[in-house]
Amino acid sequence: MASANPAFDRLMKKGELIETVGEMTPEYLKELKHTLLVSGDTELISAPAYYLAAQRAPSINAFMTGIAIIQDELAHAHIAYHILEELGEDQEKLIFSRDPKSFRYPYAFDVPLETWTELIVANAMYDQAGFCLLGDIHEQCSYGPWKRGLNKVMLEENFHLRNGRTWCKRMSQAGGESREELQSAVDWMFPLTIEWFGLPDSMKMHSTQLDYRLKGKTNDQLRQWWMSLVVPYMEEIGVAVPAHMEVADGQETWVLDYPFPCTFDPEAKRWDFRDPCTWDDVMLRWRARGPRNAEMIQLFQEEFHNFRKSHAGA
Amino acid sequence: MQREYQRVHQHVKVYEVFARKARPEPLRQIGSVVAPDADLAAAYARATYDEERWVEMKIVPKEAITTLWAPGEEVAE
Ligand SMILES: [Fe+2]
Ligand SMILES: [Fe+2]
Repeated sequence: MASANPAFDRLMKKGELIETVGEMTPEYLKELKHTLLVSGDTELISAPAYYLAAQRAPSINAFMTGIAIIQDELAHAHIAYHILEELGEDQEKLIFSRDPKSFRYPYAFDVPLETWTELIVANAMYDQAGFCLLGDIHEQCSYGPWKRGLNKVMLEENFHLRNGRTWCKRMSQAGGESREELQSAVDWMFPLTIEWFGLPDSMKMHSTQLDYRLKGKTNDQLRQWWMSLVVPYMEEIGVAVPAHMEVADGQETWVLDYPFPCTFDPEAKRWDFRDPCTWDDVMLRWRARGPRNAEMIQLFQEEFHNFRKSHAGA
Repeated sequence: MQREYQRVHQHVKVYEVFARKARPEPLRQIGSVVAPDADLAAAYARATYDEERWVEMKIVPKEAITTLWAPGEEVAE
C-alpha cells in the first residue's frame, strides 16, 4: 500500500519505528489517535470502576493495594492522553468535556463492581485482558513513543493480575461463602471479558490497525491468548469457567461452552446461555452503554469543573 | 516547537523525566509530565513514574533542551 509519503512507506516496509508526525500519513495518524483514545479511556475508567469496590476492602492493607492499582491506572491513562496531546489533541477537553457516551472503553466497566470479590476477579480477568491487548501493542507497535511508554504499563498490569490471582486462590481455598461469591463473580465476568476482544475474525474482514502495526494479533488470536492464561488457572484453583481446550491437527484451541454471543442482563448481572443473539444486538447494548457509564464519568468531570470554578482568575 | 497545553493553571509546560534503576546505568528518559512549575512537576513525576525503586530521578523543562537532530534528520552515512 503506497502512500504519498515515501519516508512513511520506507519505515513501514523496514519494520522501523515511526517517531514524529512528519513521518506519518494522515490515515496513520488518525488510526493511531483512535487506538490511543481507546487505551486512554479504558485506563481512565478503570479508576472510578475499581474505586467503588476498593472501598469494600476487607483490610487496610487490601485497601492500600486497591488504591495503589487505581493510581497506576491513572498514570497509564496519563501516558496515552499525553501522547494524544503531543499529537495535537486537547487533553482537558478529552477527559473533562466529552459526553459520557462517547468514551471508548469496553462495555464491561459499565457494569458495577460492587464487592471486593468482584474487584479482584476484575484484576484477574480485566487486567489480564489489558495485559494481552497492551502486551501485543508493546511488542508490535510501530509508534516509538507509545511503545516505550508501555514499558511501565506492562510491569504494572502484571502486578495487578497477580494480585487478582492471589486473591482468587485465597478465596477459593477458604471455601464456603467466599468460594460461592467468587464463583458467581466469575460466572458473569468471564463472558463479559470474552466479549471485550470484539467481533470474531470471521466478521471483521480487515484491520487497518494490523496494516499499520498498531497491533499484531487479531481479535480471535487475542481472545485465544487470554483464555489460554485464564482458563487453566481458574481450573487449577477449582473455579469453573465455561470454556475448554480442544486439540485439532496438533493445534490447541480454546472453545466456549456457550453460544457466543448471547444475551446479558446487566442489572441482574446474568447471562442467558439459552438465548443466543447476534453481534448487532451486542453492538446495540454496547452503544447504549451500561448502568454506571454516566455516573463514573460525572465523578471526575464534576470535580474538575468545580475545581476550575473555584480557581477562576487565580 | 513548543505547544500550548490547556490546564487549569494558565501557564504550564512539559518536563521530561529521567531516571535510572542502578548505579552502573545511564540516565534515560522514562516519560514526561505537564505542570505549572518544577515543584509540581516533581510531585507529578514521583507519583506517575513509581514503577521502580530508582536510584536517581531528574526532571528537565523540555524547552531547556536543544535538539541537534531528530529522527528522520540523521546525518547520512
Ligand atoms: Fe492499566
Ligand atoms: Fe491494570
